[in-house]
Amino acid sequence: MKSLTIALNDLRRSFRSTFALLFMFVIPLLVTGMFYVMFGNIKNDDSLTLNATKVALVNLDAGSGQTGQIGQTLVDALQNEGLTDVMEITLVKDEAAAREMVDTQQAAVAIIIPANFSDSFSDSQAEVEVEFFQDPTLTLGPQVVRSVLNQVLDGYAGIKITVAEALKLAKSGTLPYEEITRIVNEYMAATEYSTESTPLIDQRTPAAMPEKNPMLALIGPIMAGMMIFYAFFTGANTANSILHEDEEGTLQRMFTTPTAHAEIMRGKIYSVGLTVMVQIIILMLAARHIFGIQWGALASAALTALAIAAAAAMFGIMLVSFLKNTKQGGVIFGGLLTVTGMLGMVNIFTGNPQGAPLGIVPLFTPQGWATRAILASMDGAAVETILPYLLALLAMSILFFVVGVWRLQRRFA
Amino acid sequence: MQPALFVKNLHKTFRNGQNLKAVDGVSFEVNPGEIFSLLGPNGAGKTTTISMLSGLLKPDNGGSDIRIMGRSLLNEPLAAKAMIGVVPQDIALYQDLTARENLVFWAKMYGLKGAQLKTRVAEVLELIGLTDRANERISKYSGGMKRRVNIAVALLHQPKVIYMDEPTVGIDPQSRRSILDGVIALKNQGMTVLYTTHYMEEAQELSNRIAIMDQGKIIANDSHENLIRLVGQKTRISLSINDEPETMVDAWKNCIGVSTLVVEESRLNLLVDDSNVVLPRLFEAAAAKNIRITSVEIQEPNLETVFLHLTGRALRDG
Repeated sequence: MKSLTIALNDLRRSFRSTFALLFMFVIPLLVTGMFYVMFGNIKNDDSLTLNATKVALVNLDAGSGQTGQIGQTLVDALQNEGLTDVMEITLVKDEAAAREMVDTQQAAVAIIIPANFSDSFSDSQAEVEVEFFQDPTLTLGPQVVRSVLNQVLDGYAGIKITVAEALKLAKSGTLPYEEITRIVNEYMAATEYSTESTPLIDQRTPAAMPEKNPMLALIGPIMAGMMIFYAFFTGANTANSILHEDEEGTLQRMFTTPTAHAEIMRGKIYSVGLTVMVQIIILMLAARHIFGIQWGALASAALTALAIAAAAAMFGIMLVSFLKNTKQGGVIFGGLLTVTGMLGMVNIFTGNPQGAPLGIVPLFTPQGWATRAILASMDGAAVETILPYLLALLAMSILFFVVGVWRLQRRFA
Repeated sequence: MQPALFVKNLHKTFRNGQNLKAVDGVSFEVNPGEIFSLLGPNGAGKTTTISMLSGLLKPDNGGSDIRIMGRSLLNEPLAAKAMIGVVPQDIALYQDLTARENLVFWAKMYGLKGAQLKTRVAEVLELIGLTDRANERISKYSGGMKRRVNIAVALLHQPKVIYMDEPTVGIDPQSRRSILDGVIALKNQGMTVLYTTHYMEEAQELSNRIAIMDQGKIIANDSHENLIRLVGQKTRISLSINDEPETMVDAWKNCIGVSTLVVEESRLNLLVDDSNVVLPRLFEAAAAKNIRITSVEIQEPNLETVFLHLTGRALRDG
């Protein structure tokens, strides 16, 4: 019970510190609020207020005798009426011209459909890449375009499989060639029609989110990123209270009371976890109330919050265990947490939540796994889906805990 | 009679780059209801000793023993710690909490709960005279008020033995007087007090017995009266001259009847057998060097004299 007394005492002190409150709640909400103001009033306006992103589209596809002009169907899909609010497409003849448009900022994005695009559909082994070239100074617009393009191309992957299988049947003589062609054309027609509706953006919208408000798909990840970034700061800052108390003599005074050292250290660890947990809960509730952000199903969101709190707390404990004094804390926290935070959340801040510009690098940071878990939860993923992310966070938390506690116990034994 | 505090053969060496022997074979006993002072200059090993007696530091060798009211601190640390209240040298309080919040927290750490906790917090606030200002944050308090709360924390659980590590350092004379009166009041209530200080006046006024520490060792341990007897009839003479003090060191050291001479700041302190006989010799020696003595102070033997006699150094040399 004394460990709980210590934890609650620290929690009370955290909530009396203006500095701590600023970093725990005000800044994350303020930064998200800035995006909120920049991109429109979310709660009261159902329309997307982002300007359509200018796209230079190059179709180099020469077509194929067996499959026809599949590249042109991709052009048609991207020029679909439902996407005109999102993309303003200009057809360009060659790749160099498209890139020049991006370089001169006449377009935010260039998409180049390669010459062998249709051919690749008749060869199941062939690989083809649609090039995506963006203005590096822009994030949100290219993010939306990339998201749309990815979903359209996902649909083409299905077509490719169908065509490849049909051609196999034709070669084996199981079905007459004319029959095969008819089946493929029907499939392609069906998929082409599917682009007439506008599900492309809505699929990226968190499941529980009102469909008419795609802006939340942008604000939500930013808020999640802010929350994770500052949760790790809170973890480190609260853990730093161990060193503060050591310097102020209150930790030594605790050791003179009839309280086991292990119980005192347990109390300090509880206090870090509890403070981060309270911060995350308040931020989630505040973001939901202020910005209308939905965090996903209750079980997924709750487990994710718990896992993030554990990882942030244990990461903080481990960091502090390497510090000699609180003066080192400012430098280490400012540097290390910013670097790991930015690495972990690179997908959010580069406006590319699905891709990974730095490959697997973010996954070496706890913030990387936390980002994946929270974004998946916001996308409406069930607990089973986010379980791998949560287990990764748990494994990291255990590692941080073991290292941190071992070092602190040696120091204060 | 079982001693309230039994300390045997404490050793502590800090190995940070150089082997610094902070405590070297310290042993003593404190009887119940006694005020026992550890007197010594800064760096003598008093705080290290009290840290070991509080369970903050472990003694180096296996032959050490610390018993508080018969409980071994090394073998039954929690039971032994329940018997002691520790007043650290520096203020160890949460500055962002009120005095009452601090006391409630520390009372819980000492295992108090419920009605007993409330009663003790109220009693202790009354004792230190801060009931009216109990809901103010410690950061708003004066240095003396902080010191009083710092002491109050150690009294919450009504310990049998209280350790006070230089509790009057850096405070105004009025607060100092208040603390010294408080220590005497604790003794009158039957509490055993282990008091460390480098102010000989405090040790002299408060203590039943005084252990003089120097360079990690206890060099004398007795009542004030018995310690004074150690220096016999010797008198302490403190002089200043119209030149650098070092000018007269050799000449006066060789005067008959001078047993010890130390330079302390701008003064020369001498321990002499008979001041009436030695003083004229000192004036003669100074005149021979064309030096003028600008002030003379003759002190009856006190703890300062004892320390000078035992170590050849002034108590404030450190």
